[in-house]
Amino acid sequence: MFQLEKAITQWLMNLRKHRAFDDGTIQEMEIHLRDHMEDLMNQGRTEEEAFQEAIEAFGEVSYVAEEEFSNLKSKGTFKSLLFKAMLSNYFKTTMRGMMKHPLNSFINVFGLAVAIGACMVTYAFIDYDLSTDRFHEHAKEIFLSTYDVNRENTRERYGDTPAPLGAMLKEDFSNVKQVTRVHDGNAVVKYGDQVFHESIRYVDPSFLQMFTFPLQWGVKSALEDVNSIILSEETARKYFGEENPVGQEIELIVSDRLSKVFRIAGVTKPLPQARIIDFTLLTHIENLKVLHPSIDFNDWGQQLHATFIQVADPKEVLRIQDKMGRYKKLQNSVETDWAIDSFGFVSLHDLHLASSEIRRDISYDSSEEGRVGMPVVALFILALACFNYLNIAIVSASKRLKEIGMRKVIGASRRLIILQFITENLVLTLIAGAVGFLLAATVFLPWFSSFSSITSEFDLLDVNLWITLACVLLFTGFASGIYPAFYISKFQAITIFRGSVKFGKKNYASKVFLIGQLILTCVGIGFAVIFAQNSWYQGNREWGYEKEDVLYAVVQDPADMQKLKSAMEQQSGVLAAAGSQHHLSKKFRTSVVHRPDHEYEVHELAVGANYLEVMGLETKEGRFFHPGQVEDEKALVINELFASTLGLKAPIGQTVRIDSTLYEIIGVVEDFHFNNFYYEQSPTMFTLADESTHTYLSLKVDHQARTESYEALQKSWSTLFPTTPFNGGFQEDTWPGFYEDLNTMQRFTRAIAAVFVLLASLGLYGLIQLNVKGRVREFSIRKTLGADIWNLTSNIVSHYYFIFGIAILLGIPAAHMLNSAMLGMMFADPLPYGYLGAVGSAILLVLVLVAVVAAQVRKVSRSNPVDGLKTE
Amino acid sequence: MISKNLTAASTKPIILGILKQGNSYGYLIIKKIKELSGGTMAYSDGMLYPVLHRLEKEKLIVSKWTMENGSRPRKYYEITELGKQELIAEQNQWKQVNAVLDTLWNPKPSTN
Repeated sequence: MFQLEKAITQWLMNLRKHRAFDDGTIQEMEIHLRDHMEDLMNQGRTEEEAFQEAIEAFGEVSYVAEEEFSNLKSKGTFKSLLFKAMLSNYFKTTMRGMMKHPLNSFINVFGLAVAIGACMVTYAFIDYDLSTDRFHEHAKEIFLSTYDVNRENTRERYGDTPAPLGAMLKEDFSNVKQVTRVHDGNAVVKYGDQVFHESIRYVDPSFLQMFTFPLQWGVKSALEDVNSIILSEETARKYFGEENPVGQEIELIVSDRLSKVFRIAGVTKPLPQARIIDFTLLTHIENLKVLHPSIDFNDWGQQLHATFIQVADPKEVLRIQDKMGRYKKLQNSVETDWAIDSFGFVSLHDLHLASSEIRRDISYDSSEEGRVGMPVVALFILALACFNYLNIAIVSASKRLKEIGMRKVIGASRRLIILQFITENLVLTLIAGAVGFLLAATVFLPWFSSFSSITSEFDLLDVNLWITLACVLLFTGFASGIYPAFYISKFQAITIFRGSVKFGKKNYASKVFLIGQLILTCVGIGFAVIFAQNSWYQGNREWGYEKEDVLYAVVQDPADMQKLKSAMEQQSGVLAAAGSQHHLSKKFRTSVVHRPDHEYEVHELAVGANYLEVMGLETKEGRFFHPGQVEDEKALVINELFASTLGLKAPIGQTVRIDSTLYEIIGVVEDFHFNNFYYEQSPTMFTLADESTHTYLSLKVDHQARTESYEALQKSWSTLFPTTPFNGGFQEDTWPGFYEDLNTMQRFTRAIAAVFVLLASLGLYGLIQLNVKGRVREFSIRKTLGADIWNLTSNIVSHYYFIFGIAILLGIPAAHMLNSAMLGMMFADPLPYGYLGAVGSAILLVLVLVAVVAAQVRKVSRSNPVDGLKTE
Repeated sequence: MISKNLTAASTKPIILGILKQGNSYGYLIIKKIKELSGGTMAYSDGMLYPVLHRLEKEKLIVSKWTMENGSRPRKYYEITELGKQELIAEQNQWKQVNAVLDTLWNPKPSTN
């Protein structure tokens, strides 16, 4: 028997399968069908015939659906399908869910937001750092000339240039568009009664054509006039305030005999922050002949600090490089001790990144550890936040099992449930992303820029910034959301309602996530502990010589040094005085020493006879120089590293050749740090310098009288050299920036550590709290049966013994390895630490756990079991 | 029998033309088309609805659910001002096509 209504329902269900039709359309079509059938039945058809005929006339539903769908499509599939159906609905459920569990939502959103914020700051930092010196229009066409030296079987690249090379390149290569040589020298700058020590940059006039520093006053071509000088905006402000100084005259004084008056011809605009190559005062390189007459532009034995060339097409540089052989011959015929392997070029665009591999170049790279460390830290925080989220999501899903079961019963497919969870997760991530970006823009970045040169605001027009944010959000959304979505959607409705789902008991993945979370926590806390330890260690480390009770001063002219020395020797607080040509942490020269079998590059410090005593260097063997002893002029005092580098078992009495003179080693001093602790120690030798070369004065002072002596030094200086600003100080202040840097790093690592500990505690707190909440009834029953606090505690903790054990076992070595790798990268000679730091972090982690568990136990033990039993 | 393509192309002016004579609903429209064409324009009834919905989206027609006493609720379509203009444009186009075909098939005797 044909059942009309059933047949129509069937047909309508078929229509419903097609998403193209909305309810209105389906009703419209149903009415169409019924109208048609009515007509047909009026013509005498049976119900069944009428139905068959009507649906036949209606046609294949799928074609109609396709046609209708193309209408929808032009409306925008994405919008109509995703936003309308999913978002509005799932967004609502997400919000409700979040409101229902405010603490967990806060932990999730806050954790992810902090992590996303950290990623954004990292992006800003790297973006800033990579833009260093790239603002010059021709940055890709400008190349620094370099050369490689092969010594002791290691190739070293150098960034300075033989003096004649620049002029020759310009002359010999038609494809070299412009050349500028760059050389720096110190001078006292005098304007009216203002005098300051400044560094002067001497360049060819093409410098300002190649490096496109914008000028606010004056013209770039003024540099062609040898009597002109160009000031940076900062320098102009220092001497002239807001005034336009163009046309004013200033004097550069190198020594009593060497000075010159310049006319200010230009001032730069404020320069971009991301720069390393810049200048304070800029003038024509010909002025070197006036102010530093010892420099000979035709001598292959002399070096200028840098030479840049500009080519029309960056590829040209390879062709030029091929033809550099002839200069190598020229160079090596003059400098036999400094034989070079080859000349090369490094593009200005890449110079900042390359400069850690180039010695003696005018650029540098102090942010390598930041470029590596910051992403690592950011990813760690992100991973920790994701793990937190994963674990909380899995456990809190147990609260939603009934919801899921119900949805499945009403007909939701697994796909739909997965979609729902992923949507919820994306909504959460989006909120976290917005919060994170705000955090980054208002807290993290300003904080970060307070101790680095990076700008304190995001460039909101930077497309890459938004792409990065989107990528981070997508990654976070999926990394944290996929697993819970698949896991939760797996359960069968029937097992859920029967109550036989044993949640998380057999779930190895969630155990792995928890272990991952704990290991990351361990590494993070270890990071904090180890870096704090290292900062303390580096901050309190000895330099290898006296730094507190030593004063130094540097003058332009050796004759001045003698005057200052005799004046200071009168002071009662001054215990000893020494002159020298070089000075620890200030000035040295590189020399090559020859042994019969080998040659070595070492640091040389030419000093006065009692310099070593004044500086408090410790003798290991032999003796220092004796004042007035002529044969000591051919003697060397070396450090231990020198001896071990040359393989000298009994160094005293051994000889080495320098140039053509034989020197005898008469003493060995203990190793010391010439440079700050970022640098490795170098093999170093001291030679006796003639008094006529001494420009450094070192004073050993009585500890009680250190301040008075310092004041006396300044006073003698101003009496003796009234027109020259004081240049000297305590030896301990000669590592400018190092201790500030250390301090900064301490602040930075402390903040990172705080974030790690905070996220870790929040994550664990959320997790254990959920666990306890889920067992309220169990605990209530236990309590009524007489369980005490310890009983409850062991019950809560028993879940985690095993996991914690594994996490700590894996976490300690992981923390140790990762953190020591990072420290090793930053410091030449990092903290010699054992497992102490890592064990310390494990202890800290356990403390965090104990605190978290204690909070829960307190709550459980205070609760009334009756209330616990009443709740569902 | 009129070909599918031609049927499809002419659906729009036909629907607009029918609605210009008065408001109507889906089933009536399709009945009217069948009557007018004498059965030569046969296509599946269902295909009318996507066309109606598209015209509505293009704002050439508007729709309204109406309850008449005793009968089923029906979705009535009404032509808009825009639809009327569109119909005139369509009429011109079809006339042009018609004129072209006309001259091709009934060549006038040459005058010279």
